[in-house]
Amino acid sequence: MSRINTTLRSKKILIDQFAHQGLKTLALLSASFIFLIGSVILVKGLTPFLTDNDGLGRVGLIPFITGNVWLIDPTFQSSLYSVGFLIITTLYIVFLSLLISFPVGVLTALFIAKIAPKKLAECFRSVVEILASIPSIIYGLFGAGFILKIVYQMSQLVGVQSKGGNSVLSTVIILALMTIPTITTVSEVAIRSVDQRLIEGSLALGASFTQTNFKVVLTAAKSGIFTAAILGVGRALGEATAVSLVAGGRRSGLSFDLLDTTATLTTTMLEGMKESQGLDYNIRFSVGMVLLVVILITNFLLNLIKRKVGKIHVK
Amino acid sequence: MTAQNPIVFQIENLNLFYGEKQALKEISIAIYEKEVTALIGPSGCGKSTFLRVLNRMNDLIDSCHITGNVTYHDQDIYQPKTDVNGLRKSVGMVFQKPNPFPMSIQDNLIYGPKCQGIRDRFLLKQIVEQSLKQAALWDEVKDRLKESALALSGGQQQRLCIARTIAMKPEVILMDEPTSALDPVATAKIEDLISSLKQDYTIIIVTHNMQQAARISDKTAFFLMGELIEYGDANQLFSTPENKKTEEYITGRFG
Repeated sequence: MSRINTTLRSKKILIDQFAHQGLKTLALLSASFIFLIGSVILVKGLTPFLTDNDGLGRVGLIPFITGNVWLIDPTFQSSLYSVGFLIITTLYIVFLSLLISFPVGVLTALFIAKIAPKKLAECFRSVVEILASIPSIIYGLFGAGFILKIVYQMSQLVGVQSKGGNSVLSTVIILALMTIPTITTVSEVAIRSVDQRLIEGSLALGASFTQTNFKVVLTAAKSGIFTAAILGVGRALGEATAVSLVAGGRRSGLSFDLLDTTATLTTTMLEGMKESQGLDYNIRFSVGMVLLVVILITNFLLNLIKRKVGKIHVK
Repeated sequence: MTAQNPIVFQIENLNLFYGEKQALKEISIAIYEKEVTALIGPSGCGKSTFLRVLNRMNDLIDSCHITGNVTYHDQDIYQPKTDVNGLRKSVGMVFQKPNPFPMSIQDNLIYGPKCQGIRDRFLLKQIVEQSLKQAALWDEVKDRLKESALALSGGQQQRLCIARTIAMKPEVILMDEPTSALDPVATAKIEDLISSLKQDYTIIIVTHNMQQAARISDKTAFFLMGELIEYGDANQLFSTPENKKTEEYITGRFG
């Protein structure tokens, strides 16, 4: 026993304790930001509903959530701010973009994970990673400089007067482009981790590679692929910069027309911000609150579906 | 000696390489119809590799190549024009660990037939019932065909995998240590099943368990270091082996 160096031992224990406490403090610090962010948004966001907004009048919560118009002008009445139509268009646009990005992303992932020769797969994988790391303002510029032009030409062809291409369609395309890398990366991991024994089992039954990939591999990776879709929806819902460059900043009225201008919760928050106080400023925090609630509810519902889809056949 | 059953597989001078490494050396063997042929030998002796030659599962390994002749009903299965999917349909395979698909019991069974283009619901229903009955699983699962196959016990999963293979109406069933992941009760059930399946199918089974080989096989082949040391009637091989190495192995002196 005497051979054990007790000073060295107690020193190690001290270092362990120090590391433990230090890391705990760091973790608490980062966790506390969620409360900080939450309370700032909440305090500012609730102000328009609780005060008379320097004489402009109190904003009604129900009209705000269900209304059909958004006008930026601090001299206007408080009743002219509302987000009902924005909630619906936001969900509509995200849904449409998912219709494109989900199949494209999943099939790309399948190709990279199972079909492409090793070197080609490596190459595609890096391309997808680069796409995922491109800043959204760059996507936005690409949208403004290229997609708007194409959509504009297209609308000319069908004889519709579109505002320089700013439209639902352009927004959907940009959002799809931005979410494809997320969906591809996450579903590729899910597809690659499908047990090789399942694949052998399918081939041993005389199934072709294509049949195996579509019927066994994708089925087995279902849960992970659904997670990919949830992350994609998350990214699309929160995207502001790129979208605001192609949406057209619609101010009122619900429109599902692909070539009509549009706006989402995020673009509305971003656009036309001039003051750093007052109703026109605070109301954006209210929109932020609404966006957070929309994201929470969407995530909750998607996870519910995921559990239902995955429950029966995946362990 | 009684008259031999017809030959299903005829293998002559088979050599198999993984890259540079030779895994099978000059194997010549004939497999007979409606018999149980057991392949025994210590780990790494090449018995599983040999099994995978017969349905070309080794194709999945890039570095693998073979020389020699492997004929199935007098047809060379390693010709470029061989219909590999067709071969695997008539030469089914059951794996070491049960590998049911993450689908319902019923979907596991109709997966193979559907891949062959069978769409008729009535026919598919019939296939489900017949193959489950043949695999002695029907009574246990008939009330929960739509439940997940993953909820079954290990032994039931393995019988489901056998049923899934039977659903393809194969001629030969290859089994790669099908009971090594199972408890003794489940193992006994599978062994009974193998004995009853013998009437309709040719079965080639790789096993670690010599008692199992002695119990269920008609013919036994002993592999060692990639070579086929001895092949013959199971009774004879286990009672009076000709080769000294076989004797040493089956009496437990090595391996």
